[in-house]
Amino acid sequence: MVDERDSNLAPGDVETDPATDFDPGVGDLREALDSLRREIRARFPAPLGEDVPRQPAEWPALFNELRRRLSTIGMIERSGEVDEFGMDEIVLRRTRAVLDLAYEHYWRVEVHGLEHVPDAGPCLLVANRSGLLPYDGLMVCHAIHRNHPRHVSPRFFAADWLITLPFVQPYLARLGGVRACRENAERLLASKHFVVVFPEGIKGAAKVFRERYRLKRFGRGGVVRVALENRVPIVPVGVVGAEEVHPVLFKWGMPARALGLPFLPVTPTFPLFGPLGLMPLPSKWVIRFGPSIPIDHLQPDAATDELLISRLTEDLRSKIQTLVDTGLADRESVWG
Amino acid sequence: MSAPGVIAVTGPGSFIGRRLVDRLLERSPKLRVLALDQRRPFRLDSRVRFHRVDFTEPTADGHCAEILVRERAEAVVHTAFRTSPTPDLEMDHELETIGSLHIMNACAAAKVKRLVVASSTMLYGPRPDNPNFLTEANPLRGHPDAHSVEDRVEMEGLLSDWRQRHPDSEVTVLRPCWIMGPTYWDHVTRFFSLPVVPMLLGYDPLMQFVHEEDCLHAFERATLSPHPGVFNVVARGVLPLSTILRLAGKRILPLPASLLYRMAYYPSQGQTGDPPAGFYDYLRYLWVADGERGWEAFGEPAYTTKEAWISFVSARRMRRYR
Repeated sequence: MVDERDSNLAPGDVETDPATDFDPGVGDLREALDSLRREIRARFPAPLGEDVPRQPAEWPALFNELRRRLSTIGMIERSGEVDEFGMDEIVLRRTRAVLDLAYEHYWRVEVHGLEHVPDAGPCLLVANRSGLLPYDGLMVCHAIHRNHPRHVSPRFFAADWLITLPFVQPYLARLGGVRACRENAERLLASKHFVVVFPEGIKGAAKVFRERYRLKRFGRGGVVRVALENRVPIVPVGVVGAEEVHPVLFKWGMPARALGLPFLPVTPTFPLFGPLGLMPLPSKWVIRFGPSIPIDHLQPDAATDELLISRLTEDLRSKIQTLVDTGLADRESVWG
Repeated sequence: MSAPGVIAVTGPGSFIGRRLVDRLLERSPKLRVLALDQRRPFRLDSRVRFHRVDFTEPTADGHCAEILVRERAEAVVHTAFRTSPTPDLEMDHELETIGSLHIMNACAAAKVKRLVVASSTMLYGPRPDNPNFLTEANPLRGHPDAHSVEDRVEMEGLLSDWRQRHPDSEVTVLRPCWIMGPTYWDHVTRFFSLPVVPMLLGYDPLMQFVHEEDCLHAFERATLSPHPGVFNVVARGVLPLSTILRLAGKRILPLPASLLYRMAYYPSQGQTGDPPAGFYDYLRYLWVADGERGWEAFGEPAYTTKEAWISFVSARRMRRYR
């Protein structure tokens, strides 16, 4: 019986042309499908941003909710899927509200030169690093996401010790932080992502307050080499304001080793006021994007020319320094 | 050499060995399959010619070579490894490192054309400074506390030396990551089946699995057609550890690393013979492998990481409710 039915339904036998042979039943079917869809939607949780009328709380439900929230501490709404570098769209979308607040009201970020950011990836954005925690990476990514015509979500690079720091690690990966290394850069650029890198590395993050806004050495030219090998444009970015978020007076080496940190920063508020002292200060931020450094005219074998790479790296560093200096001049005062 | 006529599988008692023998017999009935192991596994197919060899004996290489020559074996699949590490550290070392050396020497003496060796992506080691995707070219850094991993790192070192000395034989090394599936069972799946799964507080690394069928498929393809080189055998996609545990509806107990490593010291010593760091560091740092090379050689895997995990979880659940 089954065989007969199958042969009747073989694809060659079915001859219907929806344009000429219109069946009035199709309308009914469509209506039924629509109502089914509405019913299904009503059963799913409402998408983010929509106002959900709260159910009156009952004690067991309240207890369950509390337990659920406690067991996930802060990461209530996570998607079941992450991308290959661990970025979670839902966590990111929820965090954007906090980032928006910081962007608009707390740090009052001013952005210049966004026209230099290309419309499509891949692109390497090179910025100056400041502050121990990656506020600068988050803010540069957020600034691009807000203002870019395609609302891309760039990735930012973070140092090894930061990306595996307990409690920070799960959040950083979900917000688009990636461990800074060559393999990751190549993979991200190959899949046409925007990547924000900080070639100063730990030297930049570990600056004390009196060295603020003076760029340190740029690694060993890895950024330029990656850009040359993958033929991607480099956009210099100058971030002003992140240095005052945690003004490090001096570095305390001894207790840091016990905590597994590269150093323990001593700011006017930390560790004096304990964890409360980690509250970032509301400085005024200016993010400046510079014109991209053209690499199209260079030969593909330029990536093996060490002198050219070190010249380009130094050139890039001075461009970012200029952007930072211009940003500093833009700002009336630290709290501007 | 394209398809070998006689295949020797060492360690048919291990999961991969047993299932590979069944698979080869089922799919290619013309093949002659030999099995070499310490003792005859339970319910071995009657078509398989079984030979009793103790790989840890000093004369095992000569004995193996004799069998391989007599049976005219053309390919050897070496799967005689511990599925889970045991507290008998010395025996594990004798089996996994020295036993493999014996097999390699036997293959050289018997002029076997193809050697397929089962390894693992655990050999890359969980490190804070790993790139997000470890390729086959990455050094095998292992983990100082996981003796089984260290033994196999040593084994791979011996194997690469051997490969240089015998350039005319095709050597394929397959490195599957943690295997998940309805019938697979080892110390990892046992850990994930605990009623309350401990996690390291503040850490939530990305995990990667491979489904048992995809893993066996890779082994079958590597045995039957030439694929010299090293391949990671992994599924597509990664998921954070907390997400996979939530998918399974597991209760999670997050503990600080220092506390967990103290609490789990004696159970871990009893089960695997290692300090807890030898296992829990794999739940702490990243060790995700890049499977692009393996997918190109053996075809697209049928299951993603999530599907492999769900297949394992649903099979567990059915078994409990039976």
